[in-house]
Amino acid sequence: SMAANMRLPTIRKQVSLSSSLSALDGKDLVVPGDVITSDTGFMRGHGTYMDEEKLTASVAGEVERVNKLICVRPLKTRFNGEVGDVVVGRITEVQQKRWKVDTNSRLDSVLLLSSVNLPGGELRRRSAEDELTMRDYLQEGDLISAEVQSVFSDGALSLHTRSLKYGKLGQGVLVQLSPSLIKRQKTHFHNLPCGASIILGNNGFVWLYPTPGHQDEEAGGYYTSLEPVSLSDREVISRLRNCLLALGAHKVLLYDTSVLYCYESSLPHQIKDILKPEVMEEIVMMTRQKLVELEG
Amino acid sequence: MRDTPLSNCERDFLLKAIQEKKRLDGRQTYDYRSIKISFGTDYGCCFVDLGKTRIMAQVSCELITPKENRPNEGLIFFNIELSPMASPAFEMGRQSELLVKLNRQLERCLRNSKCIDTESLCVVSGEKVWQIRVDVHLLNHDGNLMDAASIAAIAALCHFRRPDVGIQGEEVTVYSTEERDPIPLSIYHMPICVSFSFFQQGTYLLVDPCEREERVMDGLLMIAMNKHREICSIQSSGGIMLLKDQVLRCSKIASVKVSEITELINKALENDKKARKTGGKFGFAESLPQERITALKTDVSHVEMSDVKEKANEIVQRAEVPPQTVPSPVLTAPGTGQVGEGLENSWGLKEEEEEEEEDETVELKMELEEGHEEKGRGNYLPKFCFPWVSETDSPGPRSVCAVFYGHSLQDSTE
Repeated sequence: SMAANMRLPTIRKQVSLSSSLSALDGKDLVVPGDVITSDTGFMRGHGTYMDEEKLTASVAGEVERVNKLICVRPLKTRFNGEVGDVVVGRITEVQQKRWKVDTNSRLDSVLLLSSVNLPGGELRRRSAEDELTMRDYLQEGDLISAEVQSVFSDGALSLHTRSLKYGKLGQGVLVQLSPSLIKRQKTHFHNLPCGASIILGNNGFVWLYPTPGHQDEEAGGYYTSLEPVSLSDREVISRLRNCLLALGAHKVLLYDTSVLYCYESSLPHQIKDILKPEVMEEIVMMTRQKLVELEG
Repeated sequence: MRDTPLSNCERDFLLKAIQEKKRLDGRQTYDYRSIKISFGTDYGCCFVDLGKTRIMAQVSCELITPKENRPNEGLIFFNIELSPMASPAFEMGRQSELLVKLNRQLERCLRNSKCIDTESLCVVSGEKVWQIRVDVHLLNHDGNLMDAASIAAIAALCHFRRPDVGIQGEEVTVYSTEERDPIPLSIYHMPICVSFSFFQQGTYLLVDPCEREERVMDGLLMIAMNKHREICSIQSSGGIMLLKDQVLRCSKIASVKVSEITELINKALENDKKARKTGGKFGFAESLPQERITALKTDVSHVEMSDVKEKANEIVQRAEVPPQTVPSPVLTAPGTGQVGEGLENSWGLKEEEEEEEEDETVELKMELEEGHEEKGRGNYLPKFCFPWVSETDSPGPRSVCAVFYGHSLQDSTE
């Protein structure tokens, strides 16, 4: 199709909301190189370094002080996983008895062969044959949802998919956002009432997929349904994806309620229009309003 | 740092597009990206842009003692470096497989082909010879590093001038650039590398793969050739099985491409020579002001617009009814506006007709001015939008904006 939208470049306007301004009062924001304190009585934590007796920040973020410990929590960072986090990752390597998974962290995470559910759901010792057929379960490029089992000493995460809700992901859309935007909740798997399902990975990777119909779970998450997805489902997922990008651009905390409100606010617009800057602003402002009403 | 892994859907998309003879940037199967060759202020400094791949080559020389078994020959040393600014996957000092492969191929292409007369580099047999050193730095990685590196290396060698040497009996004097003009190297021919990437076990072939295409390719065939149709080196990597006629076909394509590129290099050298003679600003000094990074700058992209009107009308006739939307879908924001027959001109700029109307009635003029002031978006609009505004014959319904804009673009690029 040849029809195209064209726009002229403009100077960006600062969108400042009264709610965000009041929240900034108590925060101490620093940039790398800013001197936090000259008092030598403090212990230095993450994100700081000593520069000639002065405690200086090495990352851009807000200063946190716990008694005598000062650290700086960065605004934009790679995913620092903790035990119990739900992540969505992509297999990058198939090694002996384990897979390497890219989870937007500083190091690739590890998924051990012993941490996955074998097809059939049986509990047995992993044999040499299982090692050779690892590629049949997960290949390079596959997307999986998993949970963090433990953290190695160097910071790498060890993942497991020992539950039927985790496993290989089939048809859907992946949206990559910053990990700091995902709110920690009791559950990260939601079936949204608008007609799609979402997995909000703690590492910033969000997976949107059509709500699975009633099917008996075969191989603990390794059965990928290749049924064609209906147009209405695809439209819902496309709209959700654009809403997620809009929320991500305006740094709104993501959880099921905020995503849903954003979806509802975006209904008057066409799906492709949601990505326009002014439409994004309008939708996010309405979402923020609704969220404030919900709290108050 | 590791490169972000390529997702399955991207891979499938690229392969499917290649099967349908389509490339990401719209090129044909045998098309090269646009090559730009420029030289620096020093002799022997050359920048090559192959699309977005950017490489710099610098040639330098020094006097050393020759090898024992070859006392009459000078030495040439090649070194390619993958700078971390080229790609996040490259780390300084790390010997990667790619680096070794590129270095080996460049050596084979330039050293084994004997394109440079090494005997002319001899000063005193057995004691002093020139060692020519070619350093190639990769500045940006967007695929096909070998071709760009070979073009940069040979162009830099052709551009290089070594200091003149005078021998009087036992005394050897090396004259500086101020005392005597430096002399160029004696180069017999210019070997250029041409890369062919293969997909689906050799079924599909692409010339000059970009970075994405390289990630999904099965194998790579590199043919180094000169314009006299002499093959200097052939290398096939990736382990794909190639048929005899495939290799022959590739060599034919390579000879065409090599003659084009050789002409380009010669032209660039000529231009640089002319510029230096006239004493005007050339090379690095000239190019520096143009290397500004502007957020609003983009390269000229050619848009096919020969049959836009018919296609657009077809689409409009076939289009379904759009879904229900809010009654006033036009969001007025800075930098956007609407033009067209019967619609209110909201660009904020007065057209000739409107100005005439204003002259007639003063009252209307006041209203119009106020209206325009309210909208006042003209401040941000750059000059070039004027030709767009003057054309008010918008053909057909508003949804066919492409035709309107397309028409004006054609005019302004001519």
